[in-house]
Amino acid sequence: MLREFFRLAGQNVLHRKLRSILAVLGVLIGIMAVVILISFGLSLKGLMTGEVAKVFGVDTFMVMDQDVMSGKHSGGMKEFGLNLETLKGVDGVKTVAAVRQRTAFVEGGTNGEGNVQQGFMPVMGLSPELLTDFAAFTGDLVFEEGGRQITGTDVDAAVLRRELADRLGAKLGDTILIAGEKSNEITATVIGILAASDEKQEEQGFASSMSSSSSDTIYVPYATMDRLWPEGNDFLVTVVRILPGYDVDDVADRAEVALKAEGSRVSAITSSDITSVIDQMMSYINIFLAGLAGISLLVGGVGVMNTMFTSVLERTKDIGVMKAVGAKNRHVLAIFLIESGLIGFLGGVIGTALGLGITAAACWGINTFAGLPAGASFPFVASPTLILATLFGAFALGAVSGLWPARRGARMPVVDALRYE
Amino acid sequence: MPLLDLKGIVKDYELGKTVVHAVRGLDLTIDRGEIVAIMGPSGSGKSTLMHLLGALDTPSAGTASLEGHNLHELSENELVTLRGKKVGFVFQTFNLIQSLTAQKNVELPMIFQGVRKSARAERARALLEKVGLGERMKHRPNELSGGERQRVAIARALANDPEILLADEPTGNLDSETGATILELLKKLSIDEGKTMILITHDPDAAAIAHRIVRLRDGRVVQEVRNA
Repeated sequence: MLREFFRLAGQNVLHRKLRSILAVLGVLIGIMAVVILISFGLSLKGLMTGEVAKVFGVDTFMVMDQDVMSGKHSGGMKEFGLNLETLKGVDGVKTVAAVRQRTAFVEGGTNGEGNVQQGFMPVMGLSPELLTDFAAFTGDLVFEEGGRQITGTDVDAAVLRRELADRLGAKLGDTILIAGEKSNEITATVIGILAASDEKQEEQGFASSMSSSSSDTIYVPYATMDRLWPEGNDFLVTVVRILPGYDVDDVADRAEVALKAEGSRVSAITSSDITSVIDQMMSYINIFLAGLAGISLLVGGVGVMNTMFTSVLERTKDIGVMKAVGAKNRHVLAIFLIESGLIGFLGGVIGTALGLGITAAACWGINTFAGLPAGASFPFVASPTLILATLFGAFALGAVSGLWPARRGARMPVVDALRYE
Repeated sequence: MPLLDLKGIVKDYELGKTVVHAVRGLDLTIDRGEIVAIMGPSGSGKSTLMHLLGALDTPSAGTASLEGHNLHELSENELVTLRGKKVGFVFQTFNLIQSLTAQKNVELPMIFQGVRKSARAERARALLEKVGLGERMKHRPNELSGGERQRVAIARALANDPEILLADEPTGNLDSETGATILELLKKLSIDEGKTMILITHDPDAAAIAHRIVRLRDGRVVQEVRNA
């Protein structure tokens, strides 16, 4: 019988095409908005987790100051102390790379008037493993001709950005003086100058994102850092790669416990930690977006209700006839509910298809024209859960909106309905 | 036992604040196989009587029974089921569902009785052939003439093989020639199929096919005449 009711309801929808189309349009717009907003949120999440995965992979974790991830510290990176040997000794650890940062007094060449250029600058020590094993952290750095990156064998070498080189009056091959703590002092040769940053390079890679003053930063080999400041309490970040066959979260937990036992205020962060933070963030964004889209759905629902009231009114006589030939109240109710549900479902199918299409096109547009960092992509995500949920939701929206009108139709006394002109 | 038995029927309506006494103490019995015409001027209670006879409504007072079922004692759903099985309606304005084909209109009463699809379609086709519309089964009401529409309505009335055919001014919206053929068809079917037929009508030609004519005035039976 239900199948027959679907057929009857379908015929009613088709019989009043224009009105059905308008009601479908109302639902369609709402569903489309929901699908676009949620899919876009999923794409954004895909982009972010994709970037995280690129840096981390499944075999890498970071050690940072414990306040950085907990949100107590809002200033980005923060220095901390730890014993690298302890970290290297943790079961499952393969490679450890560290970045240290200090502020040092630096003296460069002379300017045109013969004045020595000098000042306090951040100095960053990069361990050789960082450059060899964790290339993604430094990003694609572009050197001016003749310049190169620091390697493990360099001693007393420095890499500067073009802006800083100009300020210090230093050219490739010149030396600069860096003063560390007590009377530790070195004369470092400038072996590489990073090309003046265009915006695209600026946003890329670990070295540039380390601090806002990164164009001032002087990069030196890790050994040089050790000579200037023997005490290692100035780590910005430590990157750890694990041995194959170990679980990254297990190793990270062990490392954190071992380091904390020595009094280091650090936490070990794996990609799943970051992903869960992103997930959390995205879920708030999604709730907000879904709320916005919900408003348009509500409007669509009111449209369906309006259509159904008109439909019930217009078919009062049909209701009377159906009841006269043996339709019970629940039969009439079912037919009208199915009709409004079908309107909702139709809006849902078209709205979902259009929403996904528009999102796919937008993702393509962003990937093609928006100039994302190299290798990053804004993925199009067609979530089956989302699709099923919107289709079911659209049918339910239609049926719920039709409930009140349908009940009115179903409860109409047969004699009154038959007499209705 | 008579098929339909009305005793001391009273039916009052509230129209706004006034109470309309549509039927005021009416007794009527109708036997199986009879053709009865109910006549009377407007406001005499014809329509109200038709609603009561067709189990569309229950009386305010008195007892109405159909095949021994007291309509008063039935729940609304039982009333609907009884009506669906026992009574077939033919209306003055045909009352076909515009969005459905002739065949689907005829199938409609069977759908609500839960008749299987194939049996339903077969019966609808047979009935439409019987009323002379074998070629027009897939047409919708707006593609049919008035006479054809009324034939579809008659086929629909017969769908569940009811005991009673209840026709309310069946020729009221038809020209006299078409009306005559419809009356002819109704009479033939009621005799061939052994149906009891009740005609509510103004039309003396319609009343002429009846075995018995019941005249109403002011909600009461004022005259009963047997046709020779």
